[in-house]
Amino acid sequence: MNKSTGSAESSDGGMDLSQFHGVFFDEAAENLGSMEELLLALDTDAPANDDLHAIFRCAHSIKGGAATFGFADLTELTHVMETLLDRLRRHELVLIPAMVDALLESKDMLTTMLGRHAGSGEDSPDASAMAANLRRLCESTDQGNAAAVGPASIAQADPVAASATATDLSGRLPGQYILSFAQGVDETVINDALKLFDEVIGLGRIHRSADETRRFGVETETPASEIADLLGFHLKADEFSIESNGAPVELSQAVDVPAGRTAAALAPTTGPVSNVIAEVLDDGVIARPVAPDGSWGLFAGAAGAPEKHNLPTIDESRSDDRAEAVTAERPAADSTAPAAGSKAGAASAANRGDATLRVSVDKVDQLINLVGELVITQAMLAQTGRDLDPMVHQQMVGTLADLERNTRLLQESVMAIRMIPMSVVFNRFPRMLRDLAKKLDKEVEMVTVGDATELDKGMIEKITDPLTHLVRNAVDHAIEMPEQRIAAGKKPVGTITLSAQHRGGSIVIEVRDDGRGLSRKKILAKAVERGVPTSDNMTDEDVWALIFEPGFSTAEVVTEVSGRGVGMDVVRKNIQALNGSVTLSSAEGYGTCVSVRLPLTLAIMDGMSIGIGTDQYILPLDSVIESINLNPSQIKRVTESNRVLEIRGEYIPILPLQDVVQVEREPGKEGNTTVIVFEAEGKRVALMVDELIGQHQIVVKNLERNYRKVPGISGATIMGDGRVALILDVAYLVRRARH
Amino acid sequence: MATILAIDDSASIRQIVSFTLRSAGHEVMEAVDGKDGLQKAQRAQYDIVLTDQNMPEMDGITLIRNLRKMPNYAATPILVLTTESSTEMKMAGRTAGATGWLVKPFDPQRLLTVMDTVLDR
Repeated sequence: MNKSTGSAESSDGGMDLSQFHGVFFDEAAENLGSMEELLLALDTDAPANDDLHAIFRCAHSIKGGAATFGFADLTELTHVMETLLDRLRRHELVLIPAMVDALLESKDMLTTMLGRHAGSGEDSPDASAMAANLRRLCESTDQGNAAAVGPASIAQADPVAASATATDLSGRLPGQYILSFAQGVDETVINDALKLFDEVIGLGRIHRSADETRRFGVETETPASEIADLLGFHLKADEFSIESNGAPVELSQAVDVPAGRTAAALAPTTGPVSNVIAEVLDDGVIARPVAPDGSWGLFAGAAGAPEKHNLPTIDESRSDDRAEAVTAERPAADSTAPAAGSKAGAASAANRGDATLRVSVDKVDQLINLVGELVITQAMLAQTGRDLDPMVHQQMVGTLADLERNTRLLQESVMAIRMIPMSVVFNRFPRMLRDLAKKLDKEVEMVTVGDATELDKGMIEKITDPLTHLVRNAVDHAIEMPEQRIAAGKKPVGTITLSAQHRGGSIVIEVRDDGRGLSRKKILAKAVERGVPTSDNMTDEDVWALIFEPGFSTAEVVTEVSGRGVGMDVVRKNIQALNGSVTLSSAEGYGTCVSVRLPLTLAIMDGMSIGIGTDQYILPLDSVIESINLNPSQIKRVTESNRVLEIRGEYIPILPLQDVVQVEREPGKEGNTTVIVFEAEGKRVALMVDELIGQHQIVVKNLERNYRKVPGISGATIMGDGRVALILDVAYLVRRARH
Repeated sequence: MATILAIDDSASIRQIVSFTLRSAGHEVMEAVDGKDGLQKAQRAQYDIVLTDQNMPEMDGITLIRNLRKMPNYAATPILVLTTESSTEMKMAGRTAGATGWLVKPFDPQRLLTVMDTVLDR
């Protein structure tokens, strides 16, 4: 098998399956995600059965798809994982932490493999060591009740086997057949083969002799050929033989009596069983593989089967009797297995909730766009309608009011489509924390509050990196080593709490730790060192905010994990780019809390519209502090071109908007009579404009997508009168003001 | 051409099956698990039912048993998809009332052959 080319060797028979790869990759990624979540949540001392079944199903599902698409590397690795998980869920193995680690590592490798098949271009990873490790864990002998090698221990090694076997001390083996295993066959293989007689109801009963370890009596009504068939899946044909008790049976002949009229047309017994086309027509049990490798087939006489059969004639009445006798035994066994299956299914199904629909993000975005347009059109209509006399145009006015309400509801519903619970973000962290804590020899646990709080998908994507940085910071710098924690009277395991809640029109996300907290002294000292202006009567809040200054880090050692203190200022920039804000609070010795406030969505914003000349611009309402009608006495001139505004003892730089944008003024109108004080990146600016028009909720349109990127402008919207208003980029304005 | 109900909890498998069968002119209805499959079978009549075994909500064997209780599905060809060709699984399928089996992973070409055979072509 050539794995290096990255192409799939598929059993597609000429049909191109690559168009389905995308769905498989998504599906497999979901399964891997579930697998990881379940593995991390497993209680290694008492793993829940449902969890084990669920993890097994994840691996099983991936294997099925991988095999269908011909991804051999995935198939092989998932197969070994599946084997281990299968033994675990059947309680044939006891779960040990090493297994969880191995499974998690294998899951990582599967992710890499998937990425490779999806075209990441990385080298094909070598999974052989991992597979070997998993196999080793499958067969681990420190289980207490595993089969030890040695003939004497076979009898007590497997308590399960006891039910279907009996030890005959008389020296003669009872049963219709003698099942013998060749010398070279391993004891564990023999045991597995014998276990079949327990697992397959009606296959027969094994009789052991006290001094024989390779010959067993088989008491059964199943024909030898069928037993041989079954054993052929586990052993090579030359590793075992099944003979009639008394004389060896030629399997090429029609086999014997209690089983009835078996038409066994087997090839010479020396051939491997897989080459055999067996027409075993008996007990209505199994039948005719139509393909030589048994890959599909029809049950003889089954409902719905086609009429034509090349079957030898049989005594119908007797065959029905046999069919009934056999099927009578089965329901008891069958009813337990599927019941268990569906119960496990039901248990996990309870968590599944309502039916869902998979929709591409593009379709949703298009829908949101169109609804946004609809809102604008409705607003324009409402504006026109305002001029109508309500008495004369009663119907129209009433209908417009209905339209406004329906449009608002439609918009809310559509925006809700893109809302995703925060758990999507929070779920990445347990695994990251586990690995990080291990690396740093710290003990950390994570608590989440408000997992179900929802946030727009676009925001979730943008908030993930900053949050990740905050969490890593907390583990790296805030949480102390276990010994230090104990010395400080805390419990050795540190706790990081992630919470999300809606507050007003925003979402507030907090990363809280019970670590060492921030040291006011250290920070002030560092600030002085860096030449950042400070004063002794700065409030604690202001001192903590110094951390957001570029290059600021009081970490003694730059660890590989969080880097060189370039973090916090980038985090703040990223959050502000989302029209959000971030604040810190801390108590030395107790812990720190980083609080991020974000608007619920990027698509709609509360804006303050301001007028300059004949144009309208929008400022994000969140950033506005106050607006003032200018009194010339408040303006102080610093230099020829720079002026500052004095408010309550504070001096704020003035930025005339006309310096930033081109303004057409009506003759005679002087303008510049109003000042809006706003804040961005921690700094305040007074924007000088002509007038303050009002506050509205606006639909944000992306300028770059529709026109091009314009410095100083962060978006656009269409006002009720149909005109375009540009949204000012407050960070840009602040930078302009301070030069 | 037949109307086929294809049941599997894996979306990628469902897609391949649908694509393969539709390209041969059959009509396909997909279901995501046994319970969904049973509901769909109750709402419309299908010529063939193709079902996976390992599924949440209701597994294949249970579904087949439930289908066979319905008079209009007593003689419908029902095929169970098994992941290994183990006799045990085949026996369980047979007892539940399956007409035949198909081993996963299956070759799409083979799937069409099976359909033709079962439809008695």
